[in-house]
Amino acid sequence: MTPGLVVIGELRDGRPTEASREAAGVAYQLAAGAPVTGLLFGSPEDSLTSSWARDGISEVCFLPPPTDAARQAGALIPGVLSVLSERSAELVLLPSTTFGRELAGGLAARWDAGAATGVTAIHRGAAGWEVRRPVFGGRATETRSLSGPRAVVALRPRAFPAPEPRDLPGASTQRSMPEVGAVAKGPTLVGTEPVLTGEGPALGDATIVVAGGRGVRSADQFHLIEELAAALDAAVGASRAVTDAGWRPTSLQVGQTGRTVTPQLYIAVGISGAIQHIVGMIGSRVIVAINSDASAPIFKVADYGIVGDLFQIVPALLAEIRRVRGR
Amino acid sequence: MEIAVCVKPVPDPETRLRPGPDQRTLDVEGVKFVLAGYDESAVEQALLLRDQLPGSTVRALAYGPAPRTPEVLRSCLALGCDSVTHLEASAPVDDPMAVAAALAHVLASRPADLVLVGKQALDDEEGLVAPALGALLERPSFSSVTDLRWNPERSRFTFQRSTDTEIERWEAPVPLVIGLQQAWNDPRTAKLPNILKARRQPIDTVPAATIEAAVAGRNGRSLPLKFELPAPRAGARMIDYSTPAEAAERLVRLLREEAKVFP
Amino acid sequence: MVDFSLTPDQESLRELARKFARSEMAPHAAEVDRNGRFPEEIYRKAWELGLMNLNVPAEYGGTGLGLFDQCLIVEELAYACAGMTTSIIANCLALEPIILGATPEQKDRWLKPFCADYHLASFCLTEPSGGSDAAALKTRARRSGDEYILTGEKCFITNAPHAALFTVFATLDPALRHKGITAFVVPRESAGLLPGREEEKMGHRASATSTVRFEEVRVPATDRLGAEGEGFALAMRTLDQTRTPIGAMATGISQAALDLAARYALQRTTFGKPIAEHQAIQAKLATMAQQLTASRLLTWLAAWTIDRGARGTLESSIAKCFSSDAALRVADEAIQTFGGYGYMKEYPVEKLLRDAKLTQIYEGANEIQRIVTARELLKRYA
Repeated sequence: MTPGLVVIGELRDGRPTEASREAAGVAYQLAAGAPVTGLLFGSPEDSLTSSWARDGISEVCFLPPPTDAARQAGALIPGVLSVLSERSAELVLLPSTTFGRELAGGLAARWDAGAATGVTAIHRGAAGWEVRRPVFGGRATETRSLSGPRAVVALRPRAFPAPEPRDLPGASTQRSMPEVGAVAKGPTLVGTEPVLTGEGPALGDATIVVAGGRGVRSADQFHLIEELAAALDAAVGASRAVTDAGWRPTSLQVGQTGRTVTPQLYIAVGISGAIQHIVGMIGSRVIVAINSDASAPIFKVADYGIVGDLFQIVPALLAEIRRVRGR
Repeated sequence: MEIAVCVKPVPDPETRLRPGPDQRTLDVEGVKFVLAGYDESAVEQALLLRDQLPGSTVRALAYGPAPRTPEVLRSCLALGCDSVTHLEASAPVDDPMAVAAALAHVLASRPADLVLVGKQALDDEEGLVAPALGALLERPSFSSVTDLRWNPERSRFTFQRSTDTEIERWEAPVPLVIGLQQAWNDPRTAKLPNILKARRQPIDTVPAATIEAAVAGRNGRSLPLKFELPAPRAGARMIDYSTPAEAAERLVRLLREEAKVFP
Repeated sequence: MVDFSLTPDQESLRELARKFARSEMAPHAAEVDRNGRFPEEIYRKAWELGLMNLNVPAEYGGTGLGLFDQCLIVEELAYACAGMTTSIIANCLALEPIILGATPEQKDRWLKPFCADYHLASFCLTEPSGGSDAAALKTRARRSGDEYILTGEKCFITNAPHAALFTVFATLDPALRHKGITAFVVPRESAGLLPGREEEKMGHRASATSTVRFEEVRVPATDRLGAEGEGFALAMRTLDQTRTPIGAMATGISQAALDLAARYALQRTTFGKPIAEHQAIQAKLATMAQQLTASRLLTWLAAWTIDRGARGTLESSIAKCFSSDAALRVADEAIQTFGGYGYMKEYPVEKLLRDAKLTQIYEGANEIQRIVTARELLKRYA
């Protein structure tokens, strides 16, 4: 019997997220023709999963979550375990998001599996699944072997390409699993609010991040960073100096005590590049630094550097970007 | 309230990274192991809550080999933890699920109302221990938590959890496992007299054999095979210019034509 | 058995000092140096962590460290900013005469409340007419009933504009030379005690220095330290204790200079290769490392000698003099390694030279240290 491969996805606005689609693509390749089961928390009626089927999911199972339970990874584990056991699953792939990582830890503990998060490459090795993952804030990479009969692997969003749409028959079944484990009593969700990331995309999702630091000098002048981000459809980030000073909320902070981001392009404006900041953005593919101090450590990790007064450079850059993009 | 805070000795954040002689893991020759990152916040948060809740105690636990593990537990004592427990190991513990299993074993025999863990370790950044502990101890667990506060009227904790798109506000009674993102304050620094006093305080130990027996039945393993450094960045290509407009034009051209990242 | 390894206690106190120096002091060192600002918020944090009053016994609220441990801390602090370090350790100097010469009742009265909260103290020995010839000081103490009346002027007094307590050396009669010198403890609020305007200094600009005028300051006889005429010996015993940490301060400056120079040399390229590959630069770095290592070991030897109960005058004068001369040379070579950039205020190396200079001058100028060294030395041949 072919080893069962299960992808656990996340829904946003009724559709599998980009990261869930990437996970489906990886699973399809690893399965080499064998069926891949997709697992979602929601109901088939409210979800559009045809894209996921084209990404390589052969069957989608829905676990209907009681209110708020989908937000408590631990409460979902019994339901997930029943699917895994039915499919004789060996490997679970899921996105390495806040939710995915929580689910990975809990699931691996109960399923007696090896586990890894933030994974950027996976293949079958001699003694089990071999995964690569950045460590030390992207300053190094490790390869691990997940041995034993079962493994849970959380894949870093955007580390894998969005799957090419394939001519696949689509999910053969869409069905609800009746069994959902008892929801942990006690915790109640009191409310939610959107993460304050300004106008653009979420910091964790963005392909481009424009971040400002102490060099921006004041809360009032930080709009320069936001304008630059808007012109590039980028997310806004900030160094700790900015959030500590209260110029912008801590949800924008990139670095050791804030978020780790890995966009295609990271533009650091007026950020000197303390190691605490560097670890949060070093995984970015291309780094641009704009700073008045030629000896600022940010230039050591940047790919392109401009030494100059950001209050002159950024407006010029804005004008150039608007010109090039024709708006 | 009994608060347990689980910490991990990690290489000093300023350590120069390089692969060890076997190429499998970090070279730890001469590396200083410290309490750092989210674990530091978890200890700070535990101490803040203790001060707010009279009669509470804070116990720090760590699993790993000597001398790094007892050293980090000593820093917990110096910061003000009431007691510390060293889960002994004969070698470094590289598998987060083994760490969770060992901690769960010890916490099961002496339960805490609140188990605090840094949301992920500064070195391996797995973030698996908090949710795994929740599953093993059969308690609700939340990671990426900020603003953890005790509400005495309702006898519940309130806290926020940041997902990628939302900030959720939760309320939960004990027992509870929390993977902490940030404490209310910057972590405190231990005072010199307390550091010296901590050197003479006792460290409870659980022998390696006991831990190994408790986690021996596990099948899933995670084993490091290779530790690599990225090819060194050459340092920034500095853009020469005579006017800001020229700098902007050159940068945009490089991003489009060379780096191919410009949308 | 000689052993250069540190105990776990020493490792952890050095670690604390290093962490404080690099996270709290270093980020502000350039700004404070540029503006000549007195960063009291940093000194208060140092006090909170127990990095001030290092020599005051724990029973009086101090940290109660031996000299070796103090030196480990001072070196780390000075690595980040020698100026701030001067202000942080000025309490050790000002309180040492009390620790050495006060009665138990006086110690209770002064040290306890002083250490229970953040306060600064100043050591008042040097006078405008000369610092090195302490026996010739001119500040007068006249007995009047149960009081002494102090009149005169002290200069180059560290922390004086901010100090709450002053240990003052005055003479009952200049003709008695050193036999007339007597020590007093004088609180800031005493009528007639007048700190002067803060001096503009070449280096150590984070530290405040001013004159202190004594205009008929009345000091109760119960605030005299030791007996009349014992002040000179007390001052000399104090300096025997506090001279060695200046060696540690100079060592910290040298270490900072070498670190900056070596990193720069690996990074900066000329003639197609990093300047660290040029022998001229290698020779500089090697000489700097020699000077640094010798400074540290001489300082450790002096501190170790004194901690074992010996007076250590020879060892401490050698350590202070050698290390401070070395710091000036090492800082100088660091600037030379940086070339033109080293001369620019934008880079941190020129500050090291300005800071190093003072370590040759204060707490006994190096000319005096050489006299002391020679005198101690010749005793062994006489």
